[in-house]
Amino acid sequence: MALILGSAAVLPSCLSDKGKPVVQLKHLKIDADQENLVNNLTETILPKTDTPGAMDLGINLFVFKMIDDCYDKEHRADFITGLSDFAAEAKKQLGKSFNDSTAIERTTFVSGIDKKSKDEKYKDNTKLIAFYKMVKDQTVFGYTTSEYFMTKQIVYELVPGRYNAMFPVKSKATA
Amino acid sequence: MANLNIDSVKDRTFDAIVIGSGMSGGWAAKEFTDKGLKTLVLERGRDVKHLKDYPTTNLYPWEFPHHGVLPDDVQKANPIVNRCYAFGEDAAHFFVKDAEHPYVQEKPFDWIRGYQAGGKSLLWARQTQRWSDFDFEGPARDGFAVDWPIRYADIAPWYSYVEKFAGISGNRDGLAELPDGEFLPAFPLNAVETYFSNHVKKTYQNRHVISARCAHLSKPNQVHLDQGRGQCQERTLCQRGCPFGGYFSANSSTIPWALKSGHCTLRPHSVVESIIYDDKKGKATGVRVIDANTKEAIEYYADVIFVNAAALNSNLILLNSTSSRFPNGLGNDSGTLGKYVAFHNYSAHINAEYSGAKEWTTDGRNPAGGGYIPRFRNVYKQETDFLRGYACGFSAYRWEQNSSDGIGQDLKNNLVKKDLSSWHVGSHMMGETIPKETNFVALDKSLKDPFGIPQLRISVDYDDNDEKMKKDYVEQMTEMFTSAGFTNIQASTDHRAPGLDIHEMGGVRMGNDPKTSMLDKWHRLHACKNVYVTDGASMTSTSCQNPSLTYMAFTARAVDHAIGEMKKGNV
Repeated sequence: MALILGSAAVLPSCLSDKGKPVVQLKHLKIDADQENLVNNLTETILPKTDTPGAMDLGINLFVFKMIDDCYDKEHRADFITGLSDFAAEAKKQLGKSFNDSTAIERTTFVSGIDKKSKDEKYKDNTKLIAFYKMVKDQTVFGYTTSEYFMTKQIVYELVPGRYNAMFPVKSKATA
Repeated sequence: MANLNIDSVKDRTFDAIVIGSGMSGGWAAKEFTDKGLKTLVLERGRDVKHLKDYPTTNLYPWEFPHHGVLPDDVQKANPIVNRCYAFGEDAAHFFVKDAEHPYVQEKPFDWIRGYQAGGKSLLWARQTQRWSDFDFEGPARDGFAVDWPIRYADIAPWYSYVEKFAGISGNRDGLAELPDGEFLPAFPLNAVETYFSNHVKKTYQNRHVISARCAHLSKPNQVHLDQGRGQCQERTLCQRGCPFGGYFSANSSTIPWALKSGHCTLRPHSVVESIIYDDKKGKATGVRVIDANTKEAIEYYADVIFVNAAALNSNLILLNSTSSRFPNGLGNDSGTLGKYVAFHNYSAHINAEYSGAKEWTTDGRNPAGGGYIPRFRNVYKQETDFLRGYACGFSAYRWEQNSSDGIGQDLKNNLVKKDLSSWHVGSHMMGETIPKETNFVALDKSLKDPFGIPQLRISVDYDDNDEKMKKDYVEQMTEMFTSAGFTNIQASTDHRAPGLDIHEMGGVRMGNDPKTSMLDKWHRLHACKNVYVTDGASMTSTSCQNPSLTYMAFTARAVDHAIGEMKKGNV
């Protein structure tokens, strides 16, 4: 489907007019810089290694589509506020914008945010954390339900053709 | 008369008219056409042809725009149907959207509908259990509703008849309270379901955990292959429509069978406005239809009319069929039409964990869903402070867990982890509710639906009996789970509205006495003998079995009777 276009669909933001985003959105109002930040964030969460990354798989587009279509107004507002908070916090910690930082710098910054997002005692920056969780959740969801993941990393069976009610765990390990 | 210019009266005249093409209407169509009767099946929604009209059936998760999640605007626009577990991106096209057919909720009621050929038979949970005389004798023994005019012996051969054709998987468990049927091999219980079954058998006298009986072709017979259906492939994506015809639906089974006979006309987009009653002849002569596309009114005529529009819509049609003889709705001499509506109470659940059976897991998927616990309360005698009882679903499961901890390569590694979880077990109640005059449906005096037909007012609620039963379910199941050594037992009750069980029943109840009931023992209106109602509307009481199998058997039996009456020249 349209989502599995790969990186070819994600043009560099400098090619777009007047800072408009490339991705088609119904509700979210963002500029090209913000689009780029989310793209870079998904790639930082799920980078290209010896296996494909978020941008290779079009996960960044999926994240936008999900947040634009499947989240309610309040969550979309949190996304926008949190995105700005994320950009500001990155600039504060890295001394330059998230988009201008290297992959290593981004990873360092996002690792810190990821830890805070799991820390139930951490109560600051609520919108930033809400934004980050939305992007991470949808990156993970998009990846684990992608054709690549469901055919190359695990095997999703559309037609199992069997139900073995008593199946030894030992056999599962070698199946 | 409307539309004389479209076709002649002759072209609009049939031997039988069946209103509705779902679970029971499909059976009426099959039975009439098997006997060579010229039959018109009226379906208010669009046609859905087996295989051809299952657009999502072979899609992988990534082929859905939102990988299965419905957009927020769709969910917000449909608060009622969105509460149904099966209303997802893969099956939303088979559900009625809230705005399409408005109704009035005097009390909260989630009316879940499927307006297409096949109706909700495409979407059902496919659980099929017979009733026994413990169920049919319930109202008379316990003093509620009215006595059923039939007993198990009347319906047993018809259960066998429909089971053979539909294909029902199950074990012959030999339980008086849940009679055995004509079974294909059961989907077996897994290690922990079997453990619990054995534990319950040892610990309690009359409690049983059996393989859920379901309408899946575990091993098809020739009659199923003749329908163009094949073996269930354990996809458990049934709500999309099955490319194998592995489960019973009107679309895969009865409707194409009826059409193949050459005697059946299926007319989609046909909203039945009312049944036409002829004062002089003293019987119904046909139905008045609104074409859903053109909004034109058209009349069709037949000797016998079967009302299978789904329980509440069957009520609506009869309520809207007024004449000088029947000013309060067709056949409504008793004043009971629309009243004594009941449903099933699904509002309690319980979950727990089990640390044993670590060496076992499952492989593939179980379309039956696991185990079933037939009603054990108040079966042989009244023993609690509430009437009747509940059946319980029961299933055990474990799964391969991944984790979404971390980012980068760590995250990638965590996401492909396949750590087997411990066993979890879950159960939900399916409680009988007591039909009452105060639980009713009626026509709204001013509000109309998009076809100019009065909207249905629904006034149905739980009562004290339901609350006591719910409490008992939680207590009994907690005790059974505890004694089985299950841990971390979590019971939860919810405040779901009636209707979400999708087992609404009654309003056109059967009974021996025309003064207190609508239908006789053959499902005919007492006061209009060529109109039969054989769907959920006809239910005198609800018991706690999943009702579809009983509607199928009722319908086949009633058609057999109707054909007999036609042969005798009585209709």
